[in-house]
Amino acid sequence: MSRAPDRTDRRIALGLFLGAFALLWATEAAVGFVRDETVYFVAAEQAARWLGYLFHAPSRALSDAVTTQAFDFNHEHPVGMKLLFGISFHLFHETLGLLRPATAFRLPAFAMAASIPAVLHVWGAVLYGRRAGLFAALCFLAAPRHFFHAHLACFDMPVAAAWLLVVYAFWRSETDDRWWLWTGLLWGAALATKHNALFLPPVLLPFVVLRAYRASAGKPAARDLVQKALLLLGAAAALLAVLLLVLTPEGLVRSWTLLSPPTAVAALFAAGVCALGARLHKTEMPTFRAVAPLGAMLLLGPAILYAVWPWLWYHPVDRFAAYLEFHATHVHYAWTYLGTVLREPPFPLSYVVVVTALTLPVTLLAPMGLGLLSLGIRCVAALRQQWRARIAPASASEALVGLNALASIVLISFPDVPHFGGVKHWLPSMPFLALLAGRQVQLAGDGLAVWLGPRLRRVPAAAITPLLGALLLLPAVTLTAHVHPYGTSSYGELAGGIPGAASLGMQRQYWSNNVTGVLAWLNSNAPRGARVWLHEVVSFRDYQRNGMLREDLRQANGPADADIAVVQYHQEFREQEVAVWQAFGTTRPVTGLYIDETPQVVVYQRR
Amino acid sequence: MGFLLVAVFALGFQAWLPQVLPKDSDERAVADVLAKEAQPGDVVLLHPWWTERARLFLPAALPITGYLGDEDDALLEHPRIWLLAEPALPRTPVASFARGFLPGRTLLGPERHFGPLTLGLYRNGRARGVLFSAAEALQAASVSVALPGAEPVPCVRDGAGFRCPGGARAEASWHEVLYRPSRCLFVVPPGGPGAVELIFDGVPPAATLRLEAGIVWEHAWKRGNGLTPLHATLADADSGAALASLSVEPGREGFVTAEAPGGPRRLRLRVQSDNAHEREACLVLRGLDAKEAAP
Repeated sequence: MSRAPDRTDRRIALGLFLGAFALLWATEAAVGFVRDETVYFVAAEQAARWLGYLFHAPSRALSDAVTTQAFDFNHEHPVGMKLLFGISFHLFHETLGLLRPATAFRLPAFAMAASIPAVLHVWGAVLYGRRAGLFAALCFLAAPRHFFHAHLACFDMPVAAAWLLVVYAFWRSETDDRWWLWTGLLWGAALATKHNALFLPPVLLPFVVLRAYRASAGKPAARDLVQKALLLLGAAAALLAVLLLVLTPEGLVRSWTLLSPPTAVAALFAAGVCALGARLHKTEMPTFRAVAPLGAMLLLGPAILYAVWPWLWYHPVDRFAAYLEFHATHVHYAWTYLGTVLREPPFPLSYVVVVTALTLPVTLLAPMGLGLLSLGIRCVAALRQQWRARIAPASASEALVGLNALASIVLISFPDVPHFGGVKHWLPSMPFLALLAGRQVQLAGDGLAVWLGPRLRRVPAAAITPLLGALLLLPAVTLTAHVHPYGTSSYGELAGGIPGAASLGMQRQYWSNNVTGVLAWLNSNAPRGARVWLHEVVSFRDYQRNGMLREDLRQANGPADADIAVVQYHQEFREQEVAVWQAFGTTRPVTGLYIDETPQVVVYQRR
Repeated sequence: MGFLLVAVFALGFQAWLPQVLPKDSDERAVADVLAKEAQPGDVVLLHPWWTERARLFLPAALPITGYLGDEDDALLEHPRIWLLAEPALPRTPVASFARGFLPGRTLLGPERHFGPLTLGLYRNGRARGVLFSAAEALQAASVSVALPGAEPVPCVRDGAGFRCPGGARAEASWHEVLYRPSRCLFVVPPGGPGAVELIFDGVPPAATLRLEAGIVWEHAWKRGNGLTPLHATLADADSGAALASLSVEPGREGFVTAEAPGGPRRLRLRVQSDNAHEREACLVLRGLDAKEAAP
C-alpha cells in the first residue's frame, strides 16, 4: 500500500511550507548575523561570482586554478547551500535589487527550513494521523531555538531538513516506486549540505537489512541476491579497512590515483551494486525496493557531492580526506555548562540530553520525551512475545523514526565530540522527536475526549486534540515571540527561563548575533566617526552593508583603540570585559541588551 | 490530563516571570538610597552574581562585585557590604549563597525592598584594614629583571607600568582570574631563570602580608605543551629573608594564596617561570591590619 499522503494532507503541507517560508521572511530582518554566517556570506558571494565567470569564460572557470581560488575559502563545508545562497544573492540583490544582501542570502535557508514542517505533516499524517502530523509540524518550528536557526544562511537547519527528507524518502521507498532513487539523490544533496549526512547510511543500514530479509522470505532467488549484496558491501568495507591498515590513512590518500587499488575496489563495488540491483529488479520488486535506496545512496551520493563541489574536481581524494580530517580533529571552543566552562574533552555524557531538556519549552519537551519513551517500550514489546498482548508493539516505521530521533543526539553525546554550538549540532534529531510528540498529543487528545465526552456536550470530540495541541503550542509560541530575535539565549521553563539558566551557569548565548540589540543605541548615540569595537563580531561590515549600522562608524580591533566597546557576555570572555574597564577607566556600562535581566551584550563608552 | 497540567504550568511560569524582574524604577530607587547612604569603602554585592544590569544605575563611585563564585569572596577591603539581591528569580541559589556569604557577616538594620529587589546592609566581619597594596604602590616601586649571577637590568617606566627586557612587563591593571575581576599587579615574567623583581620601599607595618597569584583568563586552565609553573616569592628586601612563596601550576585556575607575618619595610617580590608563554600573572599583594576594618 502506498504511503503517499492524500490530497488534503498535501495541501496542508503546502500551506505549512508557504506559511513557514513567509513567517521566516517576515521575521528575518531583526535576526543578527552569527559568526559563521558572515563567513558563509563571503563564500556564497564567491561561489556566485564563479558561476557568473562560468558563463563568461567557461574553460578558465573550470580550470584547477580558478576552481581552487573560488572555493578554497571555507572549504571545510561543502558548497551546496553556499551555491544556493550565492545564486539567490546574485538574483534578488545584485540583479533585481529587490532584497537587502542578507535576506537574499537567506532565502534558500528559509525554503529548506520550511520544508521540515511540510514533510513532518505528510509523514505524521500517514504514520499516525492528520492531527499528529499537524502538531509535529507546528511544534518543530515553535521551539525558540529551531525558529532562530531557521532564519540563518547556515547549514544546521538545512542539514536537519535534508536528513529528514532522506529518511522520509527511504520510508516511502519501501512501498512506492522511484522513491529509492529519490533517497539516493536526496542523500547526495544532504552530503553537499553538511557532513552530518555522512552518518545516515549506518543509521539506515539495519532497516535495509530488515526490509530485505522480510521481503525475500520464502523467495530463494531474491534472498540469494540480498546475501550477495550484503557480502559485496562487507567485502568492500573489509578491503577499505585493510587498505587503511596497510597503507595508513595518509598513505591511502597519497596512493589513491586514477589507476590504483582503491579505485579498483570502488569501481568493482559500484559495478557489483549495479549488477545485483539490475538482477534484483528483474527478479523480485519488493526485495529490490528494500535494498535499492542504500544502493542508490552509495552510488549517487558521492557522485553528487563531487559534481556540485568544484573544489574536489581536480584533487578529489586528498581534498575529501582533508575535509574529513578537519571535522575529525575539530578544535574545541569553550562552552559553559552548569557552572563550568567546558574547554576540552571528555565532555559530560549527559550534556546533550540536559541541554535539550533545558532549552525546549516544557510543553514540547513533555510530548517529545514521552513519545520517545513510549516508543522505546513498544520497541521492546515488539521483541518480546509476552508483552505483545498487552502493549501495542512498535512498527518498523516507528523504529525508523525513533532511531533517527536518537541518532544525532547519541552522536554528539560522545565525550570526545566537540560540544560548542548547543542544540544546532543535534538539530537533525529534532524533527523525528516532533513526530513522536505528534503521536503522543493525538493519543492524549483522544484519551481526553473519551474522558471528557459525557461532561462536555458543547465541544465536539474531534476538537479536543486541536485544542490540546494549541494549548501546548501556546507557551512555546509565546516564548519564541518573547525571545525573538535572540533565539540562542532562550531557555525553557525547566531551566527557570533565561534567568534560571543564568543561575544554573548555562551558556548565555552564542556567537555575536545578539549585538543587534544595541545597534539602535549605537546609531543614535555614537559620535560621528567613532571607533567601535564589536567584541567577537566579525560582521561589522555586514551590518553596515545591510543598513543596520551607521556607515560613518569605524571598526576598532580592541578596547585599546576603541571609543565604544560592545562586549558579548560569555563566561570564557570575562577578561575581555575587564580589559574594557582598564582601557576605558570605568566599570559602568552605558547601555546593553539584557533579556529577562540577564546581561547579553554590554556597551561601554570611553570617558 | 498530564499535558494539560504541563501547559498550565508553562503558561503560569510565563505569566509569573515578568513579576520578579526589576523595573528601571526599582533600580533607580536603590541607586538613590545608595547615593545617600553608602560610605567610602562600601561595596555592592550582586545576588545572583550575574545580575549586572544594576551597573547601569548604581552610583559610579561605588564598587560592585558580581562574578561566578563571589559568595566566598572575603571582600577584605570592604567593611560594609550592600547585598543587592533578587531572591525571587528562578533557580536563585539561596542556600548555597548563604553558606558562603553569611559567616562573619551581620545584617545592619532591616532589609529594604524595591519591587523584586532586596537591599541589605551587612557588616563584613572578614574585612581587614588594608595598610598596603602593591598595585597602588607600583608607581613608587623599582622594577628590574634579575638574572642569576648578573646585575639586575632595570625596567623602563611605561605609562602605568614598566616595560622590561625580554618581553617582561609589570603594571597595575584590571584582570580576571577564574571570573574574579581584580585590580592587581599584572606581571609577565621574562622566561628562563630570570625573574621580574619588584622592590617596594616604605611599606607600612602590617600584621599580615597576604600574597595571591593567579594566571589570567584562559591561559590558566592550559597544561602540557611545555608550560611551566609560575613562582612568586616575597622576601625582605633588606635581609633577603624569604617571607612567603607560592607556585601556580599549569592548569591551576583561580588564585593561590600565601601569607606571612608583616614587619619588613622593604619588600621584594620576585616572579619567575621557566617558560613565559601563557604565564601572564595577576598578583595581589596586600599588607593587612590585625583587626577587622572599622565600618
